[in-house]
Formats: sequence, C-alpha cells, structure tokens
Amino acid sequence: MLTLVKLLQSLVKALHSEGTPGQLAAGIALGSILGLTPLVSLHNAVIFAAIVILNVSFPGALLGWALFVPVGFLLDPLFDHVGHVLLLHTPALTPLWTALYNMPVVPLTNFNNTVTLGSLVFSAVFFLPLLFAARWGVTRYRATIGERVRQSKWYRALTASRVYNVYRLFKPE
Amino acid sequence: MSVRIFRWRAIGPLLVFLVIGGVVWWLFADRIARRSAEKIGTSIVGAKVEIQSLHIDLANGDVTIRGLTVASPHEALKNLLQADELVADLDVLPLLEKKVVIDRLAANGLRFGTARETDGRVPGDPNASVSGRVMNEARDWAQRFQVPALQLATGKIDVATLDPRQLSAIPAAHALSARADSSRKAWQTGLDTLRLGPTVDSATATLARLKTARVTDLAALADARRAIEQLKQARNRVTAYERDVTGGMAALKAGVAGLDSAKQRDYAFARGLLKLPSLDAPAIGLALFAPTAVANFERALYWTQVARAHMPPGLLPRGDDGPQRARRSGSTVRFPRERALPGFLLRDAELSVQLDPTAPQPKSYAGRLTGLTSDPALYGRPTLFAASAPAIVAGAMLDHVHATARDTAGATVQGVRLPVLQLPSLPMRLDPGQGTTQLGFTLKGDTIHARWAIRSTHVTWARDSAGPSSTVTDLLWRTLSGISDLQVDAGITGTLRAPRLVVRSNLDEAIAGRLRTMMGEEVAAAERRVRAEVDRQVDPAIAPVRARVTALQTEITARLAQERARLEKAQKDLEARLRPF
Repeated sequence: MLTLVKLLQSLVKALHSEGTPGQLAAGIALGSILGLTPLVSLHNAVIFAAIVILNVSFPGALLGWALFVPVGFLLDPLFDHVGHVLLLHTPALTPLWTALYNMPVVPLTNFNNTVTLGSLVFSAVFFLPLLFAARWGVTRYRATIGERVRQSKWYRALTASRVYNVYRLFKPE
Repeated sequence: MSVRIFRWRAIGPLLVFLVIGGVVWWLFADRIARRSAEKIGTSIVGAKVEIQSLHIDLANGDVTIRGLTVASPHEALKNLLQADELVADLDVLPLLEKKVVIDRLAANGLRFGTARETDGRVPGDPNASVSGRVMNEARDWAQRFQVPALQLATGKIDVATLDPRQLSAIPAAHALSARADSSRKAWQTGLDTLRLGPTVDSATATLARLKTARVTDLAALADARRAIEQLKQARNRVTAYERDVTGGMAALKAGVAGLDSAKQRDYAFARGLLKLPSLDAPAIGLALFAPTAVANFERALYWTQVARAHMPPGLLPRGDDGPQRARRSGSTVRFPRERALPGFLLRDAELSVQLDPTAPQPKSYAGRLTGLTSDPALYGRPTLFAASAPAIVAGAMLDHVHATARDTAGATVQGVRLPVLQLPSLPMRLDPGQGTTQLGFTLKGDTIHARWAIRSTHVTWARDSAGPSSTVTDLLWRTLSGISDLQVDAGITGTLRAPRLVVRSNLDEAIAGRLRTMMGEEVAAAERRVRAEVDRQVDPAIAPVRARVTALQTEITARLAQERARLEKAQKDLEARLRPF
C-alpha cells in the first residue's frame, strides 16, 4: 500500500514539476533503465549519475524507475532469452563479448549475465520510443486536466510536505 | 527559453553521495566480501560455508580469512573441513577484470571431518544449483549398484508363491501344440496335393488293360510305360515331400526339447524367488561392505564432477548460474581468451593439515596445492595436490587442460582411527580401531577406476543387543568375534554408465562357510519344493504336447510308408506284366 501511495506521489509530483515535458520524459526514460535492468550493476551507477547531473526531471526518473521495476520483473524471462541469444547463440558477437570480458572494468558491469544484457539491450531499444511517448503524454496531460489537479486540496497537501523540499533540490532548472 | 543540459549544482550532492558510498565500502567491504565468499563457497560445495572474519587489505593485496568452516554436503552433522586461518596474497589489478588471482595462499590449522552442531547441508531445490544437480547424479549413479541383502535374520527360507503366468514353459507348450496342429493340417493338405491316388488308380487300370492286350497292341504298351513313368515321378514327389516332413518333424522335436529347456529356466526362476541367504563369498562381501564402499566412491565422484563443472576444459564460452537475487538469476557467461588470465586462479597454496584433531596430540602435516583454476585451458597445466608424511601419502591431479578430462586422486593413511562399520543385515558392529585406509579414484572421461581398502589388525566387535537373535546370528557372532584381522578391498571398473563393483574381505569366506554348514540342508529341501511346484504347474501343459508330437510323427511316417508301398506295388505289377513283351 505504501509503495502504491509513493508511486502516486511520485507520479503527481513528476507531472506537475517545473520541468518541460521533454525533461520529464527524459527523466522517465532514464529511470526506466534503472527499473528494467537489475539495480545493482555498474551501468546503473552511470545512469544514476546521468540523472543527477543532466538537467532532467529527477521525479520523472523516480517515476520511471518505480513504474518499470514490476515490468522488469515480468519481462525477466524475455530478457534472459534475449541475453542467451546475444551471448551464446550469435557467433558474430562472440569476439566482441570476449574482448569486453577480458577488458578492465567492463566485466564489473555484469554485461555477461543474460538477464542484465537482455534487459539493458531492451531498455536501450525502448529508450527513444518511451522518451517520445512520455513527452507527448505529459504535454497532453498538462493541456487537459493538469491545472484542475494542481488546484485540488490533496495536491497542495502533498506539495507542502517536507519530501517536496528535498525534491526541489533536484528540480529541473 | 533555453534549457541547460547540465545541472551543475547537483555535482555537490553527487560527490557527497560518492563519498558516502566510499565510506560505506570502507566500513562494510569486509562484511560484503565475507558474505559473498560464503555465498559462492556454499554454491560450489553444496553445503554451508561459514567464515568468522574476512579482512581485505587492498593496499597490500592481502586477504585474511579466519575461522573457515565448510560443512559436508553428505553428512548432516559433520564438517568437510575447518581452517584456523587462510592468508591469500592477491593480485589486485585482475580484480578490475572481475578476476581473482591468488599468487600464494597459506592455510593453517586445516582439520577434516570435524563434528558440527547443526545440519550444514543446503535445503531447497537440488536442481537449482550445480552442486545439487551433481549430488543427484552421483546419488543416482550409486543406486545403480544392486547390493544383495544378507538374509539370515531368522534362518527360515520362504518359498514365495509361484505364479503360473511367470513360467515360460507353459506358454511355450501352448505355442508348440498350436504348431503341431497346424503342421498336421499342412502335411495332410500336402499329401492330398501329391495326387497319389489317381496315379495308382490309373496304373491299376492300365495293368488291367495290359492283361488282355496282345503282344502287338503297341498302344497298350505305350500306356503301360507312361504309367510306370508317372509312378516313378509320384515316388520322387513322395521322397521330396518326405524330406519336408522330416524337417518339420525335426523342428517340432526341437520344440519339445525347448520345452525341457524352458522348464529348466523355470526351475531357476523359481529358485530365484526363494529368499535364500547368500552363500557365495563375493556376494557376502558385497552385502557387508558395498554400501560403505559405494558411499566413498559416490563422494569421490561428487567432488570430481563438481570440479569438472567449475573447471571445464576448453575455451568456448560457457554459462553458469547467475547470481542469486530478487530478479531472475539468468546465466553468467564466461568468455575465456587465450593468453588472458583465468576467472579464478590459485597459483600456489601451502596447507598445514591436522590429522586426528581429537587426539591428545594431533599430528600436523604439510600439503601443497598448485594451479587451481576455473579455466584450466588458459592456465595450461593440471591442478596438483600433494601431501606426504611418514604415515600419510595423498595426491590428486585434475587435468582438464585437454578435451577429455582426467581426474586422479589417491590417499593412503596409516595409523588413524577408522570409523566404526555397521554391517548391514548383521546385528553387530565392527570397530576397526587404528588401521590403514586407502582410496584411489581415477576418472578419465567417462571411464572410472576406483579402489577402496581398509586394513586393521585390532578389530573389535560389538553385538547389537536390539537386533534379532537366532541360531545363525549366534553362530556367526561366535565365528566373527574371534577374528581380529580385517582386510576389505572394493573396486569399481568400467564406465560411469555401466560400472562393475567387486568387494572382497577376509570375513566373506568365514561367513559363507558357516552359512553353508547351517543352511545347506534347508536350502536343498527348499529347492526340491520349488522344483516340485514347477513340475506340478508345467507338466500338465507339456505332457499332452509331447504326446501329440510323438503321435503326429507316428501317423505321418505310417501314412508316407503306406503311400510309398502302394506306388511301389503298382510299379512292380506293371513292370512284371511288361516283361513278356
């Protein structure tokens, strides 16, 4: 229940943040990588750093992460299959994987794990479609029911909370 | 309004975050590494691996492990080994490639087979891990050996119920009876198709005409000669036909003989239903010591197969189970490359081993392990282990460098306390005391050659008071309790799919001799009873068939003789009548 409330909170905050639809969509798309791929991986540290440093919506990233974690769990069998195909059944790629495997630092990304690689490839392919779809969705939302939600009591209560102050630190400039 | 790409003011929090991460690593690296080592070790061994403390000194490339306990995957309350301290000299740079290369390891205070308070085996789905799968395979392999049970609890021999459907002579008799019937019909039809009657009738008519014919009646003479020719042809047909019948009769007689063979097989089958005690010395050796021997071989096979699973030959990419996590584990694929470092390599380890640690003054020995690696093809040399001391010689070689793996291990330990042996089916225990034990195990590809032996000259016997008592067990107890020497030799040869087990001991002949004396008469009487039972069930089916075949032979022989006589008589009469012409 708490997770659901937090997800809702994140969704509302993200949709009404000061960022442009593009910033919000970029945050969601980057956050989706965190959600779709196994979290404890070196590439996610890079993604996290990108979310922090790039001028994208941090709440959007949190929203993308929260939304895509369950999707990641659901699609794990698919990721596993994709990873298997890429790592073991695509001979043309074997020299690449061999080179990467024997290179410093790269093996720490766990790229040679079928689920990690499958989910990373999937999220990379999914990145641009998600970015554009999210930008279109946020624009439509703000143009239609966004203002009514902003005027509601519960939204004001939410934005008055201390959590919101922490969020403001990472709001898009 | 232009949107800036970077959020420079977030650099500060990010750096703080990195610093916090560094501090957390500094504080918890040892704990994280300890847990990871425990998890990986548990996964490889198939039983709990526990570490009291682990300290990483990256600056000096040292890792120190204290209080290592590796539980036995085969015994609930036993450890495979314990070590007081392991100090590893680590190559730091390969860590960046996620490779662990240990130049030198010093293991102190190694003890084997110590007791533990909790079950160290790993519960859960055995097929979820490599060790679980290997354990199942080794267990299945061990169950291939059908160890005979030594039946002497009561000294009585049971004659089990004999089901006539399981006897082979009865269906064979029915089949032969059907064949005899069909042969009889076929031969009858065959005789009819020879058309002997019309030939004889025609010859008889010609003879009658010849009696009234004149010397100049050339037509009658020609008819007579033609009739004689037809009679000769008919006799040839009869001869050919007789050959066929003789062949058919021989087959039927062979069928009758086959019934006798089937009956002999039924005797053997019925004898197999008897719950007889084993009277052969090799069978007794198997019954007494095979479970212990097979358990030792099973363990050796388990460790060999675990080594093969984690140290596979070749340089092809290969997948192992991925890390355990909330998400799906997947498979982690290794891509070894020539002249690159292996994923794991222990170049040289010096082992300080304590034998018989419960003794007042446990003895310490030194051993050496070299070239333990996850990629033998990259390392290019086999893994070697050697330990030598006045009372112990042990060695092992895991050669996975080439496509066909060759694993050899052997150990001879003298003057150690051997474990007590519970003899299956005998209500007594055998305590070998201090003695010598040997284990040799070679697995080349799929071909196994293994030997296990124990020798002791200070055997003591203990009778199990809760066990069943009978005249036989009393006598065996008196026989065995006077034996103070023990020599057991067990060996396995062949392939993993079709292994052959032989077990011999100096107790076999003693037990077999005593059992023969005791049980010989009763066994003979029981065998007579089962033979009588087989006769009672089989003879009513066999006797009519035997009689039918005999009658058929008599009938067909008589019929053929009769037909041949008719033909010969008709031919002779005609020839006699023609002579004056």
